[in-house]
Amino acid sequence: MVILDDLMRLPGAMAAFEFRGSGELLEHRIAYPDRINPTTLDLLAHMCSANTSIATMQARGWEQMTAMKGFYPVQEFTLIGFDWSVVVSGLRRERHKQAGRSSLPPFTGVVLANESADYEAAFALLEGGGPAS
Amino acid sequence: MRMIKRLLALDGVNVVCHFRDDGGFVEGYGLMSRDDMVRLARFAHDYRRMIQGNADQLAMFTGMRGWTPPRGWIVRGAAQSVCGVGNLVCMVDSAGAPLNEILLELHEVSHW
Repeated sequence: MVILDDLMRLPGAMAAFEFRGSGELLEHRIAYPDRINPTTLDLLAHMCSANTSIATMQARGWEQMTAMKGFYPVQEFTLIGFDWSVVVSGLRRERHKQAGRSSLPPFTGVVLANESADYEAAFALLEGGGPAS
Repeated sequence: MRMIKRLLALDGVNVVCHFRDDGGFVEGYGLMSRDDMVRLARFAHDYRRMIQGNADQLAMFTGMRGWTPPRGWIVRGAAQSVCGVGNLVCMVDSAGAPLNEILLELHEVSHW
């Protein structure tokens, strides 16, 4: 997967991964197997899936209550931990939905070391390109 | 805590709010009614607690250090994003805002 290899070139990238909307880990790349493993990535993917769903509910509710727009659909969710961050994106899925496709691509994510994390670069990479073919 | 006002000087920052540990609204500035700022503070407080719980469980289940305590979170929509660090939350434009700088500033101001 080209996107995963590109994500691994971000400053401080520790792992890149793809997961289903239900949270199951699919493809992954790991830079430091002594620090993070597929089992951890799988749990992280489930956590990100849950958080993205809850954030989506909140964005939906916020737009209905305030009449403000631009929050829904949630494109990315980021948790900034004490030393590590995880950035996940469902933007490719949204593009497929908007194109009327019934088969959706997976979510994509990257784990970054905070000391060198560049969130703007991560978002730019995750948001780049059109619908996956 | 008027220092949070300086966050509004950063490109793309539209609203910034400060809330207490119980979620109570302390102060807020920017392009939003006070009622909505109170709601934003409440949302940010609840979301922060949820993130904290999830990070704690992730650390417990995996044994991986470095996730807790979490420093912050970002929820990014097509046009608007919401960032939380400590007891601060801000609403920023998704496009063009210097997110790295905003997060650094939020982190610094949250310690005052």
